[in-house]
Amino acid sequence: MSEAIIVARGVEVTLGGNPVLQGVDVEVGHGEIVAVTGPNGVGKSTLLRCLAGLRTADAGEIAVLGGPPRDEPAFWRDVALVADEPAWYPGLTVREHLELMAAVHTGSRMDVGEALESFGLASRADAAPPALSTGQRQRLMLAMTLLRPSRVLLLDEPERGLDAEFRRLLASILTDYAAQGGTVVMATHDPGLAEAARSRRVALADGRAESTV
Amino acid sequence: MRSVAEIRGFVRSRSRRPRNWTDLYSTGLGLAVVAAMLSQPAFTLLAAITRQADPSRMGAGVALVMLAGAGFLAAARAIGPVTLPPADAVWLLISPLDRRAVLRGPSGVLLAVSAVAGMVLGVGLLAVLGTPDHTGVRLAAAMLLGVATATGGMAAAVLAQASQTWNTWAGPAIAVTAALAVAVALLGSGAGRRLLTAAASAPPAAGAVLAATAAALAGLLVRRAWRALERIPARTLLDASAGRGRAAGAAVAVEPGSLTWSAEDAHWRGRALRSRRWPALPAPMALAWQDWRRLGRRPGRLAVLSATAALPALVARTGGGVLEGMTAPAAAPGLDAVPGLDAAPGLLGVSLTVGLMLVGGLAAAAAGTSGARRDGDNPALARLLGVDPRRVLAARALLPGLLGGAWLVAVLAGLTVTGALPAGPWWPLGAAAAPALAAGALRMARRRPVDHAMPVIDTPMGAMPTGVIAWALTGADLVVLGCLPLAAALLFQPAAPGGLLAAQVLLGTAVLSISVLREGRRRRDPL
Repeated sequence: MSEAIIVARGVEVTLGGNPVLQGVDVEVGHGEIVAVTGPNGVGKSTLLRCLAGLRTADAGEIAVLGGPPRDEPAFWRDVALVADEPAWYPGLTVREHLELMAAVHTGSRMDVGEALESFGLASRADAAPPALSTGQRQRLMLAMTLLRPSRVLLLDEPERGLDAEFRRLLASILTDYAAQGGTVVMATHDPGLAEAARSRRVALADGRAESTV
Repeated sequence: MRSVAEIRGFVRSRSRRPRNWTDLYSTGLGLAVVAAMLSQPAFTLLAAITRQADPSRMGAGVALVMLAGAGFLAAARAIGPVTLPPADAVWLLISPLDRRAVLRGPSGVLLAVSAVAGMVLGVGLLAVLGTPDHTGVRLAAAMLLGVATATGGMAAAVLAQASQTWNTWAGPAIAVTAALAVAVALLGSGAGRRLLTAAASAPPAAGAVLAATAAALAGLLVRRAWRALERIPARTLLDASAGRGRAAGAAVAVEPGSLTWSAEDAHWRGRALRSRRWPALPAPMALAWQDWRRLGRRPGRLAVLSATAALPALVARTGGGVLEGMTAPAAAPGLDAVPGLDAAPGLLGVSLTVGLMLVGGLAAAAAGTSGARRDGDNPALARLLGVDPRRVLAARALLPGLLGGAWLVAVLAGLTVTGALPAGPWWPLGAAAAPALAAGALRMARRRPVDHAMPVIDTPMGAMPTGVIAWALTGADLVVLGCLPLAAALLFQPAAPGGLLAAQVLLGTAVLSISVLREGRRRRDPL
């Protein structure tokens, strides 16, 4: 494996007295895509939150880009997270959300028009996010995430609300991201997306991780 | 097909416990207690209106009554006004049942609420105009006029739900009423004073004729609205009932924050926007620009905000110059004093006005904090943007500071112009309070949800949930602390308020600076 960007060793997390992660070991290299799979409640989102520094593991060690993950601006300038529900600011259009992202980050990965086209939002550029469908809002969230520069992508069920065609497109976008040197960890229930993105599968079961492909 | 009454009876029979005589007893006792509690203030009010009114206060008073009426109808339109409980909306509305029968209950409630509101407005109008003679006839006429106006207005609001034509006219009609109220307030202290005095001293028979005509018109409108009930589209009723469901949910969970977001999203969902290029600004200001753009797209809210700056002056004017209460000269000869107002200690009047100003300033500043509120509720975008939270907070303080400060400047200028405050440069105090208002509004925007784990304290006035109180005071606490010099200046009205102005500048800046510096220590998403 190439240079390790994410290293998790013996991660243990207990939620409400229920041991969710019991010694999870994961290592993700530079330019690699890892798909974390497993049934509901197995701890995929919890592992992602640990990697994002949003939850402290009860035991074990985690390093992202050579240091422990922290919920701080310096960390978020290198790491982009898409989790839970899509977020937006009231009163802004889809295009303005993308322009805001481009205005805040120097060296965007693509320009706003390109992002609108790539994520199938060009016809909805002047819409406010509450007027979008669930899938379109998820596309907007992914477009904002992939427009800004980053070294690591953490995606929690990115396929949520997306149609089959766009899932294939998303796989290709993620493959390009990794080819440019980015590292991706995504929790997913879609084996097709994991396969199309040519990801290494890590299955969580009984609180432990097992590489399957 | 079964009738609505049969179906409602069936639902009631399946409820957890059938209603019995103890329910009737409890309801009756509750009503008797409420009547007993309200009787004393009602008698005091009735005694207070038996007097010759002060012509200089009539304009402001009539304007306040008109604004209250317009606000009542605007609120009714915002709610529906016809709504159904969520269960009825789901099960009874979209069914072959007679729609007017389904809506009979809610319509009755609307009629009762309008009647009560109308009576209050009528008594309020009479309190402003005074009753030189025939108190009983004038009171009855004023109450009938109030009830007729409120029920007629409510019927028009119901018609607006059923008909696009009425709907098109309803909004402008309320706006015109509000504009007329402003005109009455402005002219009431000048050219219109004679007209108002003539109206107040008109023979009681004229008032009775006016009230009877209004009642006849209201009757026609109510009849037409009753017929229109069956034409209200299901979609309109479902939307209104969903809003009522959200309001009920927010009330049950004591979480008003959830209600504001659903209203905000509903507002933007129905708007056609046009993207504009994002300005080239440093990262924190580029992020804060979102609130400027959002507010620029809500000119109506800005207009309402500007209009409310006149309210403290109107209230002070109606009360006979409340802010001069501590040093007010005696009432003009030949005029009876208003019991409860002139008799009230000046300190109380000034304190109330200062409280109104601080709450209003906080509300004005809060109109520019939607970005901070959104990031507080869902920090996903803030993480994606990855900007230093301290610098973001400092940039986000500009707009609420400008809004709150400008509102207070307008209020203080209005109080000075109307003579409620002694002549002098009071308005700079408003500008100096801007940082404290911004700090309070941003603290309010980022407060956590209500902590229901906090204790409930039993008091003689009932149980006090400290979690809700702490939630409600978060933000206001900082404003009170940061605006102490402003409050002191208004309370003591020193001849040279320069020292307090300097203190306000220093304290406001300090409060905002400490808020910004503490931001780095906040965890965004505690687990």
